Amino acid sequence: MGARQTLGAVTDSDSSKAKRATARGRLLPANQEFAVFATVAVCFVAMALTMPSFLTLGNMFALTRGISVLGILALGMGIVVIARGIDLSQVAVLASTCGITVVLLNNGIPAPVALGAGLFIAIGIGCLNGLLIAFVEIPALFATLATGLLTLGATRALVLPQLIVYLGPENAWLQQFGGNLSIGLPIPVIVFAVVALVMHVFLVHTVLGRSIYAQGDNPETAWLTGMPVRPMIVTEYALSSAIGYIGGLVMVASTSLMHLQIADSSLIFDVILVVVLGGISLTGGRGGVSSVIAGTLLIGILLNGMTLLNLDTQTQNIIRGAVLLAAIVVDSLLHPHDEETSKQGL
Amino acid sequence: MGINLSKRLPAIAAGAALSILAGSAMTLAANITRDTSRQAFDTAISGKKVAWVPLWMGVLESEWTGIMKDQFGQYGISLVTRDPNFNNDAQLQAVSQLIDEKPDVLIVQNNSTTLLAKELKRASDAGIYVVQMNMASNYVGDAYVGVDYTQAGHQVADELIKQCGGGKTSGEVALILGEATAAPSIEGLKAITDGLKKDPTVKIVSSQPGDWDANKANQIATTVLQQYPKLCAIHGFWGPMAAGAAQAVKNAGRQGDVKVFAISDGQMGDCDLVEQGLFTKALSNRADVQGITLVNAVLSLLQGKDKPGDKHLFYFTNNYWIESAKDRGYCYKVDKAK
Repeated sequence: MGARQTLGAVTDSDSSKAKRATARGRLLPANQEFAVFATVAVCFVAMALTMPSFLTLGNMFALTRGISVLGILALGMGIVVIARGIDLSQVAVLASTCGITVVLLNNGIPAPVALGAGLFIAIGIGCLNGLLIAFVEIPALFATLATGLLTLGATRALVLPQLIVYLGPENAWLQQFGGNLSIGLPIPVIVFAVVALVMHVFLVHTVLGRSIYAQGDNPETAWLTGMPVRPMIVTEYALSSAIGYIGGLVMVASTSLMHLQIADSSLIFDVILVVVLGGISLTGGRGGVSSVIAGTLLIGILLNGMTLLNLDTQTQNIIRGAVLLAAIVVDSLLHPHDEETSKQGL
Repeated sequence: MGINLSKRLPAIAAGAALSILAGSAMTLAANITRDTSRQAFDTAISGKKVAWVPLWMGVLESEWTGIMKDQFGQYGISLVTRDPNFNNDAQLQAVSQLIDEKPDVLIVQNNSTTLLAKELKRASDAGIYVVQMNMASNYVGDAYVGVDYTQAGHQVADELIKQCGGGKTSGEVALILGEATAAPSIEGLKAITDGLKKDPTVKIVSSQPGDWDANKANQIATTVLQQYPKLCAIHGFWGPMAAGAAQAVKNAGRQGDVKVFAISDGQMGDCDLVEQGLFTKALSNRADVQGITLVNAVLSLLQGKDKPGDKHLFYFTNNYWIESAKDRGYCYKVDKAK
């Protein structure tokens, strides 16, 4: 990582800029996760010292439960961003597909069929995203924005005109996935942990996973060395949608309803914030599951602390904005704009 | 539907009575006899055009729209609806455009007290009656139909005192507001705070914006439940959002121990949650009655002789507590046929 950065700096024609970049390399840890984990540690200690209710097992469970859905979604988004893409349709797709699943369940459709149908549609839209981006070569930003709107519009028109659907009492079994184990450990946290573990094994120990990093690093080289870059893109977006669907089911299990309005909320930006904050750079090829966990933890600690302190909205917005700004500054210090990072897309 | 209709009948009857009253006033003015009353009514209203810009087409707005479509359709009034889908710019643009199309009545649901104020004044100057639905603007139009959030806040405060006050519990109450800048959040919070002054043992330990989102409410409630092990009650500013908090109470194994209240428009989910024991009580705004009241306000304006901007009428609607299955009539089901 450090070597790559130096290489990027050397190709820069401006020698003074190169000197500054190497100086930065010495001053700052090359690893953004480390910086975020350090911030998390500082926040954690500060809150534990100042707030007696912070460092309790119950609050730790509450904190991790609160961020598990965000974390799950960020894992899906992470794959796409590592491959230099972005999936703006993720939340719209999960709202639509989970809404459809709940409607099917409430109408007495057997659970495996209802859950399977939702997953099938989610993967279908993910594949459509991938096809549009890889084969029609539409920029990811526009393709996923359009498919998200399309999915949401079609769901509203055909299935859920009133945007809200409650899980019927006969389907209360699904709520168990939003409950706690007997020791108080929230099940959404376990789901997050399992998805994170599977994701880590996939990204680090499988050929496809390693290839995604190669593609994100340099799509042309990946293609020239014989990687099936286009089918890989389709797979990545399908995975993002499918993981989003899992996150959506946890949401339904926790709240017993699905409200399509979340597609219009800032959730999708929170997901991208977590991904970028943790060190999966928008320039691709960097970061991993630990980045997502670091980013999610930082957001989780902030949200939890602000709720415990009962801060008003303005103060919360100032803090959130400051953290986002700090993350962008750190990102640009660690990944200075040069010839390597200025290249975008396929 | 049967229950709904019977609940609606008094409102419809009241509307009819109003129309007759208006009719008799006109009799004096224009020598209208009972035989010609329908003709006079039709002359005043049929062929008129009503424009309607809600925040978006949610459950509540669909209910109002359905009632208007049905009623106006029968009276021969045309209804134009523009759905800005919760986008302020789109709403402003829709209102501007509609003013140029010169409807007879413009009905808006304001997301903020300032956004549409200027345009509503322009509408009035252009000879269009302005009616505001449930969420008011700083510009006072010809009619406001909807909840008095101050009154509703006091109703909630009284209930919180009844359930948590008098020193018999910790008196700790958590509030989950909607979007922090929306009128129902601001006015509701102020009214509840004022109302709770009657009993100093009841205190608001947390008031956080849930942005009308069940997931956010769920997270906030989970944290607050941990922080306050003796919490007496959580009150949410909207049913579907409070549902998220109710699930958090259930997941924490404190159902019944921590009471959950909500103020809501009275959609079916509100009644379902009370019957499932997830809500202790819900204060219904009766969107079905509000819809009928809105229709009546429009009928009055069209039949009156006042020019737009001359009068400011208020049709504050009443709220009803849903406590058990017998209160199912306080909830409405959107009729897809309408």
